[in-house]
Amino acid sequence: MASLVHCPHCGVRPRQEFTVKGAALVRPAPDADKKSWMDYVYLRENPSGRYEEFWHHSSGCRRWLVVIRDTATHEIEASRDAALVGQTDART
Amino acid sequence: MSQSDKGGLVFGGDLDGYNSYAQRGNLATVENVAEEGKALIPSLSRVRMLRSWGGIMDMSMDGSPIIDRTHLDNLYLNAGWCYGGFKATPASGFCFAHLLAKGTSHDTTRQMRLDRFERGYLIDENGQGAQPNVH
Repeated sequence: MASLVHCPHCGVRPRQEFTVKGAALVRPAPDADKKSWMDYVYLRENPSGRYEEFWHHSSGCRRWLVVIRDTATHEIEASRDAALVGQTDART
Repeated sequence: MSQSDKGGLVFGGDLDGYNSYAQRGNLATVENVAEEGKALIPSLSRVRMLRSWGGIMDMSMDGSPIIDRTHLDNLYLNAGWCYGGFKATPASGFCFAHLLAKGTSHDTTRQMRLDRFERGYLIDENGQGAQPNVH
C-alpha cells in the first residue's frame, strides 16, 4: 500500500494513521427491498483496478474519507472528505 | 515461525486488511512480523531479512467457506476458504465429493450454504456474532 497518503485535512500522512473500512457503496433507502439490502451488506465487486473506499483517519483528524485507490498498483487517485462527496469536486 | 531445510526462518504474516491484487503486502506488516519474531527470539535482530511475499485470499463475509450447489443445474461451489484452506483441503474435497455424489451436503458442511447470508445463518466460528466484513 502507498506508504504516504494525502488526507485533505492533514496533508501527507503515513498509511498507519488510517483505518481502511471497505467499499464506499451507496446505502439503500430504509424501505428498500430485501435484495437491495442483501446486496449492499454482503455483495462486493472486488475489482482489480479503480476502487472507491471509506477510510477513517483514526490517528489524525478522525474524519471519514472517500479514497479512490487502484487495488493492483495501490496508487491513490483521489482522497476527499466523505461529507463532501457529491457536493464538490474536491480532489488532491 | 518455522525453519526451512536450508536453515532460514520463515514467518507467517498477517492480512493486509484492505482489498489488494498487488501480492506484495506492505512495510508496516513486515515491521510488525519482525517485531513479533524478535520478541520471541531477541537475537533475530542480528539476522537479515531476505524477502517477503503475499498472495490473494478469497474472503467470505463471515470467514467460513461455502460448499453448496448453486441455482444452476450441475454447477457447484466450493470457495471462500479465506486463509484457512490449505490444511482443510482433504476434508473439503471429501465433503464436496459427498455433495456431488449424493446430492446432499455432508453433515460436517451442512451449514456452509450459499444462501446463509440471505437467511441470516452466518457461521459464527469466532463467537463474535454474525457480522459482514468480519475481516
